Amino acid sequence: MRKIGRIALFVFLILVLLGTLFPLIWMFYSSLFSHTISLASLADIFKQKLTLKNYAEVFSQIPFGKFLFNSVFVAVVVTLGNLFFCSLVGYAFARKRFPCKKSLFVSVVLVLMIPVHILIIPLFILIKFFGWYDTYLALIAPWLVSPLGIFLMRQYIEVLPKDLEEAARIDGAGEFKILFRVVLPLCKPALAVVAIQVFLANWNSFLFPFILTSSENMRTVPVALALFQGYQTIDWPRLFAASGLATLPVLILFLFFQRQIVAGLTTGALKQ
Amino acid sequence: MTLILFWLFPLIYSLYLSFTDYTVLNPYPNFIGVQNYLNLFSDPDFLTALKNTSLFVAGTIPFTTIIALFLALIVNQKIPLKDFFRAGFFLPSITSMVVIALIFTNLYSKDGYLTFLCHLLGIPTPEKGFLFSTSTALPSIMLMDVWVSFGYYLILYLAALQAIPQELYEAAEISGASFWQKFRYITLPYLRPMTLLIVLLNTIRSFQIFIEIFVMTKGGPLNSTLTVVYSVYENGLVRFQMGYASAMAYVLFFIIMIFSLLQMKVFGLGKGVEE
Repeated sequence: MRKIGRIALFVFLILVLLGTLFPLIWMFYSSLFSHTISLASLADIFKQKLTLKNYAEVFSQIPFGKFLFNSVFVAVVVTLGNLFFCSLVGYAFARKRFPCKKSLFVSVVLVLMIPVHILIIPLFILIKFFGWYDTYLALIAPWLVSPLGIFLMRQYIEVLPKDLEEAARIDGAGEFKILFRVVLPLCKPALAVVAIQVFLANWNSFLFPFILTSSENMRTVPVALALFQGYQTIDWPRLFAASGLATLPVLILFLFFQRQIVAGLTTGALKQ
Repeated sequence: MTLILFWLFPLIYSLYLSFTDYTVLNPYPNFIGVQNYLNLFSDPDFLTALKNTSLFVAGTIPFTTIIALFLALIVNQKIPLKDFFRAGFFLPSITSMVVIALIFTNLYSKDGYLTFLCHLLGIPTPEKGFLFSTSTALPSIMLMDVWVSFGYYLILYLAALQAIPQELYEAAEISGASFWQKFRYITLPYLRPMTLLIVLLNTIRSFQIFIEIFVMTKGGPLNSTLTVVYSVYENGLVRFQMGYASAMAYVLFFIIMIFSLLQMKVFGLGKGVEE
């Protein structure tokens, strides 16, 4: 009896999993045909040949290479910026004394909880005011430091033993040297979590890249995908090929760093 | 600090804007007090947006939470390929929302897979596809939201389940407790803080639904999927009524705050949440 129940449960899970993954599989699968396919004409699907032509066409017919470059460039710079600034700020919060430390840290935590929609209008005006609208600066500058990153770094550095830092200080090392040579090498797990978290968030980010840029040249992949319909009537195979390319890095990161992603998301949520 | 420049300053600036008649034609805003807020509540579009957003929140969160809890309980059993299931359920929630919305636009279209499935099962479908009918567009997007987000909350539930001390279950088994008794008196109480957190996070997130609307329906048909953040975008950045849009954003902000506080109160503030 117990065994049957167990098998039923297992089959049930498989079915739910199929339901969960079906849309993604569908995307990759239909991107391999030259025409829009539908399940209504099953016979057609088997008659047609699979092809990678759509992937090639995405690059030749729309400036997808440029979008891809924008996305990668922005995500990488923002990730590096976060690693640098979040370590700096996190270290300061964990080890230094300075005026208003407590209230500053509380404001960091508060920012973590602010619904971001409230920033749409003011950030737009601010970026315009700086003359950064429709430039890389608009895509990068606001996100160079993230409250979650500060939080994670501070938590991690706070529990590290102080002995090494003190030894380095006695040897006459400066603050920056201590941070970069002594503290950060010990923080690799936390840095990995921050990096992946920030990279994924940026890679998938749509709202702000969308409202802070206007020209085709500045579009990141998600923005380009959302505006794809503007190019022509929806051409599903090609659109799915482009979507597939947008999803691929996420899949790869997910395969290799699943543990860090889960850790980042759960600690991020728990700390709130 | 950058953080203050890009986060706290805009926050306050927009509160100020919401009391002005700032538009692009009028770049030197006048202070008009609460006029924007008064106008909002006699604006039928805004009221529709508010209604749709509330429907969306109320219609997705219970389902997402229950599905996440239910599947977390199953995955937490001794089941082969446990990690595989966990990863599979989780995957959609880290995929780009734009991509997901595009896929579902296809699935919901008039010759899309889901429409086809409904035909097979004999369920009547709207003529032009799910997203083009005022009665099915919003529910379709809600269904998609449950699909995309439950995996994330499932992971959170799993983390909470694994934190329950196993000795409690062993002790309960010795004293002959049934499966339901164990669930009712051990599992559920331990999951309370996590449930609060999940509902809270999901409320904050769901009230701000935008990408799905932008990609799939642009608020249509006939405003049946117009949400508050979509109106903020449309009024502020398409019609450039910045002051008015800021007031909208702030109304939503206060609604979210009030809801969050209420939820904390209902579930019992404190203890667990501070973990």
